[in-house]
Amino acid sequence: MAQLQLANLRKSFGQVQVIKGLDLAISDGEFVVFVGPSGCGKSTTLRMIAGLEDATSGTILLDGGDLTRARPADRSIAMVFQSYALFPHMTVADNIGFGLQLKGTDRATITARVAEVAGTLHLAPLLARYPRELSGGQRQRVAIGRAIIRNPKVFLFDEPLSNLDAALRVQMRLEIARLHQRLRATMVYVTHDQVEAMTLANRIVVFNDGRIEQVGTPMDLYERPANRFVAGFIGAPSMNFLPVRTNGSLIDWPGIAPLALPAGKAQVVELGIRPEHLVAVEEADADIAGDIEIIERLGAETYAYVRVAGQPADLTLRLPGETGHRPGSRIGLKLDWSRAHWFDADGRVL
Amino acid sequence: MEQHNRFWRIALLGLPLGLFGLFVVWPLFSSFYYSFTDWNGFDTNYSFVGFDNFAKIATDRLFLQAAINTTIWMAAAIILPTTLGLMLALLLDSRVAGARVFKSIFYLPICLSAVIVGQIWTWIYQPDWGLLNTIISQITGEKFKYAWLAKPDTALWSVIVAWSWQQTGLAMVIYLAGLTAIPGDLLEVCEIEGASPWQRFRRVVLPLLAPSTVVVVALSVINSLKGFDILYIMTGGGPFNSSDTLAMHMYNESFKKYLMGYGSAISVVLFLIALAIIGLYFRQLRKVDRIYG
Repeated sequence: MAQLQLANLRKSFGQVQVIKGLDLAISDGEFVVFVGPSGCGKSTTLRMIAGLEDATSGTILLDGGDLTRARPADRSIAMVFQSYALFPHMTVADNIGFGLQLKGTDRATITARVAEVAGTLHLAPLLARYPRELSGGQRQRVAIGRAIIRNPKVFLFDEPLSNLDAALRVQMRLEIARLHQRLRATMVYVTHDQVEAMTLANRIVVFNDGRIEQVGTPMDLYERPANRFVAGFIGAPSMNFLPVRTNGSLIDWPGIAPLALPAGKAQVVELGIRPEHLVAVEEADADIAGDIEIIERLGAETYAYVRVAGQPADLTLRLPGETGHRPGSRIGLKLDWSRAHWFDADGRVL
Repeated sequence: MEQHNRFWRIALLGLPLGLFGLFVVWPLFSSFYYSFTDWNGFDTNYSFVGFDNFAKIATDRLFLQAAINTTIWMAAAIILPTTLGLMLALLLDSRVAGARVFKSIFYLPICLSAVIVGQIWTWIYQPDWGLLNTIISQITGEKFKYAWLAKPDTALWSVIVAWSWQQTGLAMVIYLAGLTAIPGDLLEVCEIEGASPWQRFRRVVLPLLAPSTVVVVALSVINSLKGFDILYIMTGGGPFNSSDTLAMHMYNESFKKYLMGYGSAISVVLFLIALAIIGLYFRQLRKVDRIYG
């Protein structure tokens, strides 16, 4: 069992409050990903869970036991750092077995455990090497090995893949997913990469400015964002936002024929629509028309950035990989109104 | 234009190379040359004596004494400043109040010339009114008079203390730089893994300071081999050759006894010892390089 609970957790550096009261419950075996922009407090929260930062107030509970003031070593947690944090003067075997060596575990047991962990992470042939003789992916596997060998209750990952190249990141992402399936351990993972968050998480926690904006499954957050921040942060390319003016019971905006305001949306000031919920149509049938500024071809799909008169930003549109649209050409867009998100002046979803 | 640049390249390279040749390379080869002669330093007439000077070294009791003293001098001059410098660096790297001021104070002696340091410590060791004896007298309540630099048992060690006082600041600064370069997350791993302060120091901090240690030890070796001036000021190699090092012995034989040929032979031996130590240093450097890059 490893249920982790944060209750009204706060952290200040001097007069500056960086974590402003977090409440979060993480179930046993759950893979929770913290995402958010730089400086939002996700790494600080992880470090408080690890005990590397003292919480200013609030509590951290693991299986009901209060960890808030416990030493990092007494928390039954393991942490994998962004920089790998491998000891350069130790071989792979010594790095993995470091924790056991500190505890005074006998040499035979350490050797056997290191061999076992190295086997599962495909590190067996590399045990005698020094970290600088390894690739980035291998180094990260050693760091994971050092975490696994201690059988912790909770694994903490602080942007573990951000130093890897794109191809290696995909490979390591799959390895971490396999590791979670195999160990069924509670894992808390910090990243700013949405793809990592969406693919790895059972639940995603979106941070902003020291607060939790929303907690939910990846598809929950994608399809039902609680506010404009989450709507804009989750999804790549991000959601299109169109400022909205209401005129009585009608929506009135440049380039779009007046539309009846749906029930309960009277406070709307902005409309959000994801790129895949805009459909390219003939200009005569379109809700909006504009000029294609840029075409980005990704192979399986293509993104078109469309300049619409009167709109402050280009609209992003997802097209099939093989598309005849060209930059500079005119395009008509139809909105899938059922998938539109309506936001009030405070950014809340209506 | 090209011709102009070529002139400056040659001029700017030529000047330092010329000075290096004149003051380092030429005397070095001269020493080799004269070590096979009986030159007294003045006469233009001298003769080649083959390996006689080197044979004499083997039977020279004073050379043996100087070699033993040099070994003690070097060992102490490496171990004491290195250890003290490391201890000070560890202390000042933690959040000690006034750490910056202490760093400056401890570094100050390295800015002084060895002659000044030697003179300061000669006063400290002065038997009648020196600081050291005064303090001991105050503590014991009895008038303490001991001629630290005039007794064979304490002369060399007294100079070693003065030398270490000067050199510790340098070691401290290099170790402080080394400590700053240790990534914080490695120390955080120690916290998470439950390392005690001693385990953290012994298994992580000290090994990670290996590049700094290599530099500190190399500088200590080089400086101690050159450590002539402070000995000359404080003891002149005495009493009874008890603080006579190879450099001092070479000086005495060459410039006091006017046995320039024999003195050159001693300098050649000293050069070969330095060469061997530098060889060991480079070997260690390669090993450190393999691990730390």
